[in-house]
Amino acid sequence: MAKKIGVYVCECGGNIAEKVDIEKVITAVSPLKNVEVAERHKLLCSEGGREFLKQSIAKHGLTHVVVAACSPKQHEVTFMNVCKEASLNPQLFQLVNIREQCAWVTPNGEEATDKAIRQTRAAISRVRYHSPLEKKETECSPDVLVIGGGIAGIKASQLLAAPDRRVYLVEKTFSLGGKVKSFSKLFINMESGLSLMEQEIKSLLGNENVEVLTESEVEQILGFLGNFEVKIVKKAENEELNFNVGAVILATGFDLFNPKGLPQYGYGKLDDVYTSLEFEEMNIPDGPSGGKILLKNGKPPESVAIIHCVGRKEKDYCSKVCCLYSLKFDRMLKSQLPAVKVSHFYPDLCIPGKSFQKFYEDTKELGVEFVRSAKTEVAGNAKGTTIKYETETGSKGDLVADMVILIPAMESSSDAQKFAEMLNIPQDEKGFFAEEHQLLAPVASAVEGIFVIGCAGGPQSISESIVQAEAAAGKILSALVPGRKLELEVRTSEISEDFCTGCKTCIDVCPYGAITFNETRRISVVNEVLCHGCGSCAAACPSGAAKLRHFTFSQIYQELKEVVR
Amino acid sequence: MSDGSEMNNKGQNTPVLVIGAGIAGIEASLLLADSGRKVYLVEKTSYTGGNVIKFEELFPSMDCATCMIAPKQQELLANENIELSTLSQVEAVSGSFGDFSVKIRKKARFVDLENCIGCNACFDPCPVEVGNEFEEGLSKRKAIYIPCAGALPNVPVIDTENCLRFKGQDCQACQEACIFEAIDFTQQDEELELKVGAIVVATGFSMFDPSKTAQYGYKKFSDVYSAMEIERICASNGPTQGQIIVQSGEPPKSVAIIHCVGREEKGYCSSVCCMGSLKLSHFFKKKLPKVKITQFYSDLCIPGKAYQKFYEEVKESGVDFIRATVTEVSKPGKELAIKYKTEDSKENSLNVDMVILNPALEPGAESSKLAEMLNILQSKEGFFSEKEPDLTSVATAREGIFIAGCAQGPKDIAETVAEAEAAAGRILALSK
Repeated sequence: MAKKIGVYVCECGGNIAEKVDIEKVITAVSPLKNVEVAERHKLLCSEGGREFLKQSIAKHGLTHVVVAACSPKQHEVTFMNVCKEASLNPQLFQLVNIREQCAWVTPNGEEATDKAIRQTRAAISRVRYHSPLEKKETECSPDVLVIGGGIAGIKASQLLAAPDRRVYLVEKTFSLGGKVKSFSKLFINMESGLSLMEQEIKSLLGNENVEVLTESEVEQILGFLGNFEVKIVKKAENEELNFNVGAVILATGFDLFNPKGLPQYGYGKLDDVYTSLEFEEMNIPDGPSGGKILLKNGKPPESVAIIHCVGRKEKDYCSKVCCLYSLKFDRMLKSQLPAVKVSHFYPDLCIPGKSFQKFYEDTKELGVEFVRSAKTEVAGNAKGTTIKYETETGSKGDLVADMVILIPAMESSSDAQKFAEMLNIPQDEKGFFAEEHQLLAPVASAVEGIFVIGCAGGPQSISESIVQAEAAAGKILSALVPGRKLELEVRTSEISEDFCTGCKTCIDVCPYGAITFNETRRISVVNEVLCHGCGSCAAACPSGAAKLRHFTFSQIYQELKEVVR
Repeated sequence: MSDGSEMNNKGQNTPVLVIGAGIAGIEASLLLADSGRKVYLVEKTSYTGGNVIKFEELFPSMDCATCMIAPKQQELLANENIELSTLSQVEAVSGSFGDFSVKIRKKARFVDLENCIGCNACFDPCPVEVGNEFEEGLSKRKAIYIPCAGALPNVPVIDTENCLRFKGQDCQACQEACIFEAIDFTQQDEELELKVGAIVVATGFSMFDPSKTAQYGYKKFSDVYSAMEIERICASNGPTQGQIIVQSGEPPKSVAIIHCVGREEKGYCSSVCCMGSLKLSHFFKKKLPKVKITQFYSDLCIPGKAYQKFYEEVKESGVDFIRATVTEVSKPGKELAIKYKTEDSKENSLNVDMVILNPALEPGAESSKLAEMLNILQSKEGFFSEKEPDLTSVATAREGIFIAGCAQGPKDIAETVAEAEAAAGRILALSK
């Protein structure tokens, strides 16, 4: 069928017409190849303008449309919708921005007109090469795999599970509850972490829409948003489970920095030097000491030193919650041993947010001492354990303490790398899973459909971890609605089988993990569900095999040719 | 599988009211709308984007804030499930989860949202000039105005307090200048009655007024600025197009940034000010490489995996950090004099060309009124209270009412976005 292009130039009231000589534009483009009609209108985006456009498309039997008007940010969708109403595929339309890019920024009228002509010519030249791309949809599963049975994973599972949405919660150890279940108290209400977890676990196990798989390992996850194939191995039974989900949540938590690597703290060498988690365990009512805070010699301590920021320098970040929970330790110590002397050694006190200053001040009033120290060491001698500290200005001091509690940095879980490789999601330079966007997408990973919550993404408090669990649930509930199909991006890229040499350059540059390598055919393949149409692969491909639909080389050359002619 | 229309459980598909169109309100609205929910987004100002769009760049990546937020604002305006009401405030709320009745007062804009194309032709002929609140009063605006270049919706509003016509004079300069007949003096305020199933409160924060702390000389001496004023001065769409100059017309040679202004008065750490101060140092060093910057702080609070590196980079660029309490800012001559006391009680002083005060974040001005209407609690600091502080920060004690972002307490953008998504998650899960 012969191409018939309609060109419409908008006056935008006087906004374009006062600077750009619209008659000149019409005269310049009318004789161009395939141009069936070229007309002007006072305000194309108005109701009258849209109706005029719609009728003109029908009247002239147009196959392609070019509108020279404002920014695509403003009215591209408006005019694409008009095309749709006129039964013309909206991809066969091109908008030229002669307002923001010509009339409003080019002071000289003749120059603005010349620029408008070039840009309109370029659009006409390009639109001839447009293809009638169609919107596609794909089936998807609303089910979710949650990896990690700590507080974040449990909360996410509870929110997501529904009669029309199955949740699989996989935990590698034999029980749910993660680290929180060993916290005898939570800041700031000082409730029991164990009883909280018991309630949460009970409610989860009673939920028929959640399948809890403890002592299980994730062996393989293949696929993409809406269509992940999961392989789990139940270690106790040595049984393999296979199922499909639409989304994956990583809630694999954190590890504590091991202070053994830092000899100045005496950990592992001196008696009664504990990490924060060891101190937490000491406080569990049915723990080895029956919840009693005791020294190795079986006596309660008379003095306790709490040392902040152990490993901060080595890890090179602030672990966010240590100042807060060390204040919680004061409360635990003082309630069990009212006469105990507690001293903190800290470089900076980081207690962000509306609630914690008061908690700190109340704690201080219990008789807790805070010593600002830039450098703190623990030494053992005949008298017992001595804390040596040095202030920022260089003055030194020491203090004897029966018990030392080290507050180590939180670091990424030892599992992180395994999952990063399995799911092809990046880790940041600290080893935590990286966010899709640091600010705007804090719980999404770089791969669509895979979410990261809680300390797997970086140090955070229990409440922040739960908020992230709820946030991931929000993203999934919003995107994977049972019974609804996934709408795909129209302008995706494709890789020509014939031209692809299998060099994998495209796989390295794709920011969405949308390209995989087919080992049998030795070529790269684009997954249209994941492709956002950014064009990175098309730009990087050395053999011209990758091309972006709607931004093909011929379309771009045709456009450029007319701009520079 | 059904096609979605068959789901008819209680609360399913009920519309949601989101109060506040800052980054939290925008994110919550988009998620809810994408799931198929109808969303009423109510914003008291004439534009979306809240406080975030006042920032030129955001820490720690130093990406342009407007560039980051604009696509979301566009998406919001284009989303058919979202009904945005600007210049609107909640007047009354009754009912309960699944069945709230809400009264909204929508003030007239006097400019037609459909007809206006945002060409700004109406500003020039307006004879009135007043301080622009968006620019912290550092530049002027007309009585018909858009608060800043790039505001969305890109449609002006008439400020009836200052417009001559609304003061009884016969001025129609703007109407005559508008070729689209978009200016309509006859528009009336409207009362909207909405039925919604759930509510998200995302009303953001205000800044503590540094003139309440007399020792810093704010509003007393020239060249003493608040951090928000400096944000606008550094902004390329701001009053000086991003040029940093002091009263004398010269760029400053030395700058002091004072942290924790109002912390003692408010009684909490505002979470984001240390990073904010580091960001301002970064701006200054970029624009004025030789400027000498000194930060006065008590404790450095840069929580999380991403911030330490930024601190180290700023420190390495030649910024001094002095742990001390500033006891007085005065202006004995051309320069500002800062008296300070270190932790070991040594007194000292430093002269600088410019002082920047970094104030605490406080609850939005009308939080108490809103709390009363919604029947939700406030903390003693005035922020909206969550039901279970140890668990999630987004659920209030009232079923169906959620909070997100700085309306709940000071926090950074990532935490704000997570809370917005969490509020949406809780609402979508409630009615499954």
